[in-house]
Amino acid sequence: MSRSHFSRSPRGNQDPTFTRTHSHSHSSSNPINTLGLPSPPPNGRRSSMGVEVRGMRRLEQRRNMEESHYLACNARAQNYNPPVDLRLLDYVSSYDNNLMCAICRCPFVDPVILNECDHCFCRACIRQCWNTNTTYTPLGPRGDCPTCRTPAKLGPRSATSKILVNLVDELIVQCPRKDDGCKAEVRRCEVQDHVNIYCGYTLIECTGKDCTDPVRRKDAAQSCLHYGASCLLCHKELQQWKLEAHWRSECPDRRVHCEMCKSPVFHRELEMHNKETCPAISTPCPGCSSRNKRGHAEAHAKSCTFAKLAPVLLRQQERLDEQEAAQKEMSRKLEVLEGGFTNMQGILFPSQEVENADRRSGDSNHIPYLRRSLVSPENADADAPTNDFAGFDWNFSAADVRHDGASSAETFQNGMASPPTRAAPAVPGPRPDDLPEPFSSDFDLASPPTFPPSGPYASPLHHLLSMHESLRDEMTRITSALSELDGRHSMQILNENLRTREEISYLAAQTAGLQRQMHWFTSAQLQRQQGRSPTPGASGSALGGAMMDAGAGAGVEAAVGAVSTAATALRGAARMVNVGGSASGVGMRRGTSEEGRTKL
Amino acid sequence: MTAPLPKRIIKETERLQTEPVPGISAQPHDDNARYFDVTVQGPDGSCYEGGVFNLELFLPDDYPMTPPRIRFLTRIYHPNIDRLGRICLDVLKNNWSPALQIRTILLSIQALLGAPNPEDPLNEAVAKQWKDNQAEAIKNAREWTKLYAQPKE
Ligand SMILES: [Zn+2]
Ligand SMILES: [Zn+2]
Ligand SMILES: [Zn+2]
Ligand SMILES: [Zn+2]
Ligand SMILES: [Zn+2]
Ligand SMILES: [Zn+2]
Ligand SMILES: [Zn+2]
Repeated sequence: MSRSHFSRSPRGNQDPTFTRTHSHSHSSSNPINTLGLPSPPPNGRRSSMGVEVRGMRRLEQRRNMEESHYLACNARAQNYNPPVDLRLLDYVSSYDNNLMCAICRCPFVDPVILNECDHCFCRACIRQCWNTNTTYTPLGPRGDCPTCRTPAKLGPRSATSKILVNLVDELIVQCPRKDDGCKAEVRRCEVQDHVNIYCGYTLIECTGKDCTDPVRRKDAAQSCLHYGASCLLCHKELQQWKLEAHWRSECPDRRVHCEMCKSPVFHRELEMHNKETCPAISTPCPGCSSRNKRGHAEAHAKSCTFAKLAPVLLRQQERLDEQEAAQKEMSRKLEVLEGGFTNMQGILFPSQEVENADRRSGDSNHIPYLRRSLVSPENADADAPTNDFAGFDWNFSAADVRHDGASSAETFQNGMASPPTRAAPAVPGPRPDDLPEPFSSDFDLASPPTFPPSGPYASPLHHLLSMHESLRDEMTRITSALSELDGRHSMQILNENLRTREEISYLAAQTAGLQRQMHWFTSAQLQRQQGRSPTPGASGSALGGAMMDAGAGAGVEAAVGAVSTAATALRGAARMVNVGGSASGVGMRRGTSEEGRTKL
Repeated sequence: MTAPLPKRIIKETERLQTEPVPGISAQPHDDNARYFDVTVQGPDGSCYEGGVFNLELFLPDDYPMTPPRIRFLTRIYHPNIDRLGRICLDVLKNNWSPALQIRTILLSIQALLGAPNPEDPLNEAVAKQWKDNQAEAIKNAREWTKLYAQPKE
């Protein structure tokens, strides 16, 4: 196999990867040199034999060490540089389709020809194909030809024309490290040599002391580059030897060339450049439908009338959008209002639900009251037995009207929901055709000509408005009656109060008279006692009298106290009455103000 | 680390874009180059004429050693295609060969639309209908094409 051949061959003296290990091993590893080193033994054969044996042993140990070191280096180098997969290469030269393997679609790599059908494949491809499809057979890999399905087998040495091998080996390919920066283009048979020996972008072991990290071959001449550094542009911390790769493909601040306009831009700005500023990218004209490169956009804008109008158009569009949004809002509000109105109508006139449903079902006649007027009573009468829907509609509403009229003379003005109307639409929604029977019989009993076929109102809205008006009147009337009642009531209270107050003042005057009399009595009694007290003869009697007087005085004083408490009680009562009077006054004032408001 | 996309898949994809097969398109996904959105037009003169059928195609890791996996996404009334869109086609199974390609497989599928084979059925009900009353079956196929396989504007 060519691959194994390549990987084995180049470990020669010229391979710089191994110069170090070789240079210091060459001096001693040469067996001839080692054998020559010890000088011929001066004395006996025995001693010379011992030296020789010892030397051989040392040599063997050294060789083992060298070999293991070499193998370790080799393994590391293999890790850095895996063997080149010829199927992943990019071919510079064009090649004939006949040189292409049908399985991997690449120019043949180590081609083999199947003897049975002369079809040619890469050896690896055909082996892989047959391995997955068939089990191992002692006669070697065998299977069907992938192209023509002829049973075939791979002999131990399938012959291939040397011409074919040369043709594919001469093809020029790009170095597999072209993404790292190698621009080499070599013949395919030499690509492994290039990578292993010449390519400056192959990783080899660092030449620095005690450093086993990988480094690019072209950097190996410099001293060890395995120290920390930071990118000058983006200040990212990384090892010195990685900087170049960083600048090539990672650094966000590196300069790249825009593919469209060829101008240099920072990598991190490339996207923005493409989107916004690149003059080579075409943008649509704001006015007309043409697209122009950004560089020519200005010239076009000068010539294009639509471009001049663009700001105006844009504003128009904005306003249009605004209006549309507003209109949407309005229609939503209208919907809500309509729903509310329908609900209200349903509450006020449950009987009309049928007609509403009718209207909702897409009837072109939007106002049921008007439609009713279109149907003449005679017509309805004739239609009634046929249970035509229009007839039913008419019958139903006529019965409705009749009930309204029968309940009271002024039902429409103030009794907006008379009991029969409420009772009538017990079944909501459109009714089946057989339901209107009771109404039609009702209708027959009533005298239709006395009712104008068109109701007093042109539409339910008018009806509702009139209802509202009558309600307002009623409210005003009730309010005035209430205020009147209020006034009368307060007058009554006032009168009553006055009477009570008079009585109280009379009682107070009486009490005052009594108090005065009592006072007079007490003073007279005291004078009498003072006139008698100086005579000693009468001291005993005087004492008795004094004692008696004291008792009388106490009684009088108690009476005076009682009278005064009575007076206080009276005063309290008077105050209470006064308070009541003032309260009624406030009530009156409020009553008048309310009256005034209702009048307004 | 994911293995690099084999050159073969890159080449096939490129060729499908640069030299598309008439009536067939295959577009790889941006995030998965092994997954394709495929459309196949019903062949002229067949009962699928005028229909545009969507399929999904996936290339397994060991492609081209194993066949691509293909499935109809659009519903189709066909004896060799079941309700889940799986296709009964020998080259997609035992007769696969690594020398076949996406384009050749898609051509085989287009040919299968032009020549249904009720003798090797995957959809038993449709195959029975096809054998018992071919006119009715063809009518059904036309209706399904109208119903499910109309091209989107
Ligand atoms: Zn091959
Ligand atoms: Zn063959
Ligand atoms: Zn190179
Ligand atoms: Zn180093
Ligand atoms: Zn940087
Ligand atoms: Zn640009
Ligand atoms: Zn323009």
